[in-house]
Amino acid sequence: MSGGAAGTAKALPSSGPKSLREMPHPLATSSSEEMGPALTPSPDLLLPRSIADKDLSLPNGTPVDTSSPASSSSLLNRLQLDDDLDGETRDLFVTVDDPKKHVCTMETYITYRVTTKTTRAEFDLPEYSVRRRYQDFDWLRNKLEESQPTHLIPPLPEKFVVKGVVDRFSEEFVETRRKALDKFLKRITDHPVLSFNEHFNVFLTAKDLNAYKKQGMALLSKMGESVKYVTGGYKLRSRPLEFAAIGEYLDTFSLKLGTIDRIAQRIIKEQLEYLVELREYGPVYSTWGGLEVELAEPLEGVSACIGNCCTALEELSEDMSEDFLPVLREYILYSESMKNVLKKRDQVQAEYEAKLEAVALKKEERPKVPTDVEKCQDRVECFNADLKADMERWQNNKRQDFRQLLMGMADKNIQYYEKCLTAWESIIPLLQDKPETK
Amino acid sequence: MEDCLSKKIEITVSEAEKRTGRNAMNMQETYTAYLIETRAVESQNEGQCSPVDSLWRRYSEFELLRNYLLVTYPHIVVPPLPEKRADFVWHKLSADNMDPDFVERRRIGLENFLLRVASHPVLCQDNIFYSFLTQEGGWKEMVNETGFQLKADSRLKALNATFRVKNPDKRFTELKHYSDELQSVISHLLRVRARVADRLYGVYKVHGNYGRVFSEWSAIEKEMGDGLQSAGHHMDVYAASIDDILEEEEHYADQLKEYLFYAEALRAVCRKHELMQYDLEMAAQDLTSKKQQCEELATGTVRTFSLKGMTSKLFGQETPEQREAKIKVLEEQIQEGEEQLKSKNLEGRDFVKSAWADIERFKEQKNHDLKEALISYAVMQISMCKKGIQVWTNAKECFSKM
Repeated sequence: MSGGAAGTAKALPSSGPKSLREMPHPLATSSSEEMGPALTPSPDLLLPRSIADKDLSLPNGTPVDTSSPASSSSLLNRLQLDDDLDGETRDLFVTVDDPKKHVCTMETYITYRVTTKTTRAEFDLPEYSVRRRYQDFDWLRNKLEESQPTHLIPPLPEKFVVKGVVDRFSEEFVETRRKALDKFLKRITDHPVLSFNEHFNVFLTAKDLNAYKKQGMALLSKMGESVKYVTGGYKLRSRPLEFAAIGEYLDTFSLKLGTIDRIAQRIIKEQLEYLVELREYGPVYSTWGGLEVELAEPLEGVSACIGNCCTALEELSEDMSEDFLPVLREYILYSESMKNVLKKRDQVQAEYEAKLEAVALKKEERPKVPTDVEKCQDRVECFNADLKADMERWQNNKRQDFRQLLMGMADKNIQYYEKCLTAWESIIPLLQDKPETK
Repeated sequence: MEDCLSKKIEITVSEAEKRTGRNAMNMQETYTAYLIETRAVESQNEGQCSPVDSLWRRYSEFELLRNYLLVTYPHIVVPPLPEKRADFVWHKLSADNMDPDFVERRRIGLENFLLRVASHPVLCQDNIFYSFLTQEGGWKEMVNETGFQLKADSRLKALNATFRVKNPDKRFTELKHYSDELQSVISHLLRVRARVADRLYGVYKVHGNYGRVFSEWSAIEKEMGDGLQSAGHHMDVYAASIDDILEEEEHYADQLKEYLFYAEALRAVCRKHELMQYDLEMAAQDLTSKKQQCEELATGTVRTFSLKGMTSKLFGQETPEQREAKIKVLEEQIQEGEEQLKSKNLEGRDFVKSAWADIERFKEQKNHDLKEALISYAVMQISMCKKGIQVWTNAKECFSKM
């Protein structure tokens, strides 16, 4: 399978700073023969504002978030792809830090401080500082998945940990989780559509998030329908080539990451076993030194040296466990959720195709395409566009993330060897020392 | 040291060859023969190419030589032979005596043994040793003719002496404890080192798996592909590097092993002292009791209980003539005994003196050699660290180009 299709998602013909009017009408690219030439693109459709005004609701009736100008508009998404988020254009900064343990009668849990600094109009204040726990992040992610189903939502660190094996309150675990939560929010912050999501805004700003959560639940129960964006069980005949390529890429990608994860774990295991032996090895030199007179210092020196190497090795293994493995696992989770989005896309397309077929079968002379079929087509086009744009963004970020991750791994190993080198080089003069010179 | 053989001739054990032959029970056996080459040093200095004498010997002949030296020079710390069977192995090393790596290390060990003997001020002058190096045929017979086996002390006798000796020289007692502890600590060290080597091997080899998976991953990537692929290659290099590193470390292990076996040689000298001292004590004790007997017979008083005394009391005294005869015999024995005791005493003192001189020589040699071994070990570790830094720096550069 060639990697070309997956590596650079073919940009939509109109991506780039072109005028909106130059873009082909989404409906024009469909099988328009049946629609008839009478269908002319309404000028309204070309403006983002009018899309915002249009009833872009999900099949279950839940209104799509259209409060911001850059709503789930594929057009704007495409435009903003080229906006490289360097320091100058960035207007939203989010950080996760300061983990604190809370002991209550019912449970013990950790909260993290989420700090926001922004100049965006969507925020009432320029700065916010709130405390959130994992549950809240999980809630946010679910909300984003519901309200932005056409986009790739970054993954969260794993929810459940095997009690007894991992200490949920240990410094290392909490720090690893904090880094992952920080990464999660930063990825959302960097996304031109997700960062304007209302739930995200509330997450960053609300003093009492639980109250808001309950509100949301009440609203839903009023709607009385399932929250999930599920279309009927339509079957897609075939995935378009470019999405098939993405799917295949993700399959192989997550397989390879899984392998790397296993290798890294195995290396850590072997290193720890090596460490166990080293910890017995060093002291034997010391014991020997106790027997000797002239050789006492050299032997003691070797013993201390091996001890230093043990410390260095311990640090290396810890670093790999805490920094390397979690990021790998994050990307595996990411791939999984992306494959789910691909499946949803397939569903949307399948629904559209089924409805289209139903219309064609009716054999009635229809001057106009029924609006719900039009909506379906629109949904397909939006989904495809959003997904492609997000894929490209994801590919870039992935490349940077892995470059950083692997360079970090190399760095840690270099540091380990440098520490050992220093230790051994420092005892050479001790070993060569002649007793007469003392 | 001017007299040392090692200054006059160059000795090498240059080759090892597998042979088959018939053993004492006429059964076919396979063994390894080693080629000993000797060449006079003087003619080399004159710029001439002197002829190389060579002969083949097998391990059992080396053993015979060493046993001869042990018996003939009990006051010398006799250099040890390399191990008979592969010990302290880790999983990659073979425990098989026929394994080429084992044979190679043994060849080096045997050469080392000959060089040690040749540079020893006392041992290098031995004729049997010289013939071992130069006379292929009839050497075995020559050694056996010396009758050294008869001079050997029985193990039982030695063990008995160790337990019963009352007044050994304190230095030898201390030395015996030292050699016991040295043997124990070096054994422990070698065992753990072998396990360390095993684990380190595992760590390096697993990294080779990165090579494979990076290569597979690079196939589905566009911009990242090249960087991943070349980094994977460096991981393969890293994994392969451990073989040479650990092979070198085996030489360090062999240096330690030599001193492990030297500990046994030290103990042998201590045992000999204990034996001689015990012998002396027994002879002195015997003399004292004879003198006592003599005195009792002469004065008629019985100071110590003896069955003979009791029976003579019960069954009647001896005649004066009988008593006189006994006294005379005892007096002769006493005189003999005193002379023997004198010479034994002298022997004992000489032994202690010459043994201690060699022990001092040995101590200096040991301190020097072990220091050198530790330095070479540190150098090996430094080299391993530098290789590691190099490989990971290369890999990092590849990753940076991803």
